[in-house]
Amino acid sequence: MSGLAHFLTLASDGMKANRLFWLLIAGFAFFPIFTHFADLPFWNDVAMRIMLLGMAAMGLNLVLGYGGMVSFGHAAFIGIGAYCVGIGDFYGLTNGWAHMLLGIVVCGLMGLVIGYLALRTSGIYFIMITLAFAQMLFFLFVSLEQFGGDDGMSIDRAEFGFIDLYNPLRLYFLIWVTLALVGLGLMFIVHSRFGVTLRAIKSNESRIEAMGLEPLQFKITGYVISAVICGLAGVLFANWQEYVSPDIMHWTRSGELMIIIILGGLGTLAGPLLGAIVFLLLEESLPIMLDSVAPAYAENWMILFGPLLIMVVMFGRGGLVGLLAAQRQSKNNPKRTKAGQ
Amino acid sequence: MTFTLILEQTFNGLQAGVTLFLVAAGLTLILGIMDFVFLAHGSQVMIGAYAAAAITLATGNFYLGVLLAIPVTFASGYLLEYLIIRHLYRRDHMEQVLATFGLILFFNEAIRVSFGPAALFSDLPPSLSGFVEILPATPYPAYRLGVIIVGLLCAVGIHLLVSRTRIGAMVRAGANNPEMTAALGINIKILFRFIFATGACLAGVAGMMLGPLTAVQPGMGEPLLILSLVVIIIGGIGSVRGAFVAAIIVGLVDTLGRVFLPAILRLFVEQATADGAGPALASMLVYILMAVVLIFRPTGLFPAKG
Repeated sequence: MSGLAHFLTLASDGMKANRLFWLLIAGFAFFPIFTHFADLPFWNDVAMRIMLLGMAAMGLNLVLGYGGMVSFGHAAFIGIGAYCVGIGDFYGLTNGWAHMLLGIVVCGLMGLVIGYLALRTSGIYFIMITLAFAQMLFFLFVSLEQFGGDDGMSIDRAEFGFIDLYNPLRLYFLIWVTLALVGLGLMFIVHSRFGVTLRAIKSNESRIEAMGLEPLQFKITGYVISAVICGLAGVLFANWQEYVSPDIMHWTRSGELMIIIILGGLGTLAGPLLGAIVFLLLEESLPIMLDSVAPAYAENWMILFGPLLIMVVMFGRGGLVGLLAAQRQSKNNPKRTKAGQ
Repeated sequence: MTFTLILEQTFNGLQAGVTLFLVAAGLTLILGIMDFVFLAHGSQVMIGAYAAAAITLATGNFYLGVLLAIPVTFASGYLLEYLIIRHLYRRDHMEQVLATFGLILFFNEAIRVSFGPAALFSDLPPSLSGFVEILPATPYPAYRLGVIIVGLLCAVGIHLLVSRTRIGAMVRAGANNPEMTAALGINIKILFRFIFATGACLAGVAGMMLGPLTAVQPGMGEPLLILSLVVIIIGGIGSVRGAFVAAIIVGLVDTLGRVFLPAILRLFVEQATADGAGPALASMLVYILMAVVLIFRPTGLFPAKG
């Protein structure tokens, strides 16, 4: 089979297997038309946030879902990406493509260093170490007074050649295209020899070692790729927010990314994006709902959100993607209704 | 003058260290024995601080506030384990992270709803608000000295409990090999509920003691949680002795680093560079320390298992 034909077969198989993801991507392409006619421009903003958080969660999902490495510090890479824009801007580097390149390189290097050190450990140690490294970077940026310290720095949207990001839809589609490309890339990575090995390491690491492969190499590579994806999301996040502060890499954001993945479905392409949609819609709607019942407490929507998370863990297995798959399965085969792969 | 400053800051570091130890002591056992990732331990610090501050404000007596807050934190830990945590032991780490993250959100918001977003302040009793001369002509706040003494007493108590009593033997056995301990006929579920409640209580005591020194506000336990995780990793998960040594090291390194690192850097580089890099480096110091420890000893200084 020639290379191109092989590529196309892979692509079409991937499209079929990940139909939900590409449906969501198509949905996001048409969403601005809907908001335009429904006169809800605010929701474009929400959609951009969904895509950005979804993109970062997709990056984390490569190590968390496919690789089984519970990294609790990926917000740091979003932060590094965002600060590549901020600090680049500070030193007169205003080209957005350069920011992206810088973000990719710096996040790749930081991912390599942190991954190399953290992956010497496993289990709880790994969770804690990734968290500690993220905190270290958080406090580094808090104490860097020349870049705004705790208060952060406001930035101008970068120059992406002919794309003027001050036209809101340009930014929307820059994010959209990046998201689609990241999805396409992840689809190939997961089904490549590398991705298959990574998934095999998750299910049985010693067997992979016995086969003569070095699991650490695959894990570090996966870690670096996921760091780079989070960095890209960070670069775009800074442009969307027009502002960078250490808050972007607060440890609770690492928690949010995990929530998004588990809510949507671990180790699936569509899961993180679906999770981001549900997460941000809850964030937008819980205060509104509370406002209609108990207006005094509308700000305290987290008091409902926290228990909701605990309930998702206790009763919902396999996330939303698992739930949808189970429903489809029970339609085709009424006897098998168990949620799961 | 410099010597006085060093002495004073060493005491401050000790005070931070023993406070950290109180938070880390319970958490290291929770992580070590049940292999359970419990992120809401910082909320126990907050609950302790709020309980003590609220009772102190209501009764006007600081000692009564602390005394009554201790059973409150024990009960809150016991209830939390019974209602939610025990259902999560068999889940994987990620689900535990998620559920306990949900608990943090809930506790912070519940405190905000019941006490308001502003910080609570409670005055120290006159007997504790003065100064003590630790050396001739070297005054040190009596309250901070009290915190150090209480913390050290707690540490001795925990040490005796763990190394001298039957419960302590069970705890050590549980940290070393939980399955074998259970197979020997020890009710590890009850044992863990006890550890959990005691750990919550110790974290609560840390919160009560910190209350008059810092602001009692929602989310106050989280910085302490992260630092105590660093302590636990340096000391070795499941090791109370490791937690004590690491807590003192982290407390001293963090405190002394923040005060003296900019000055030390000034000896080697220009003042402007030192003033810029000093605070940044100081705030990263404990994390760098942790990374170095892990490179040479991936399971910490005093690993409980193995």
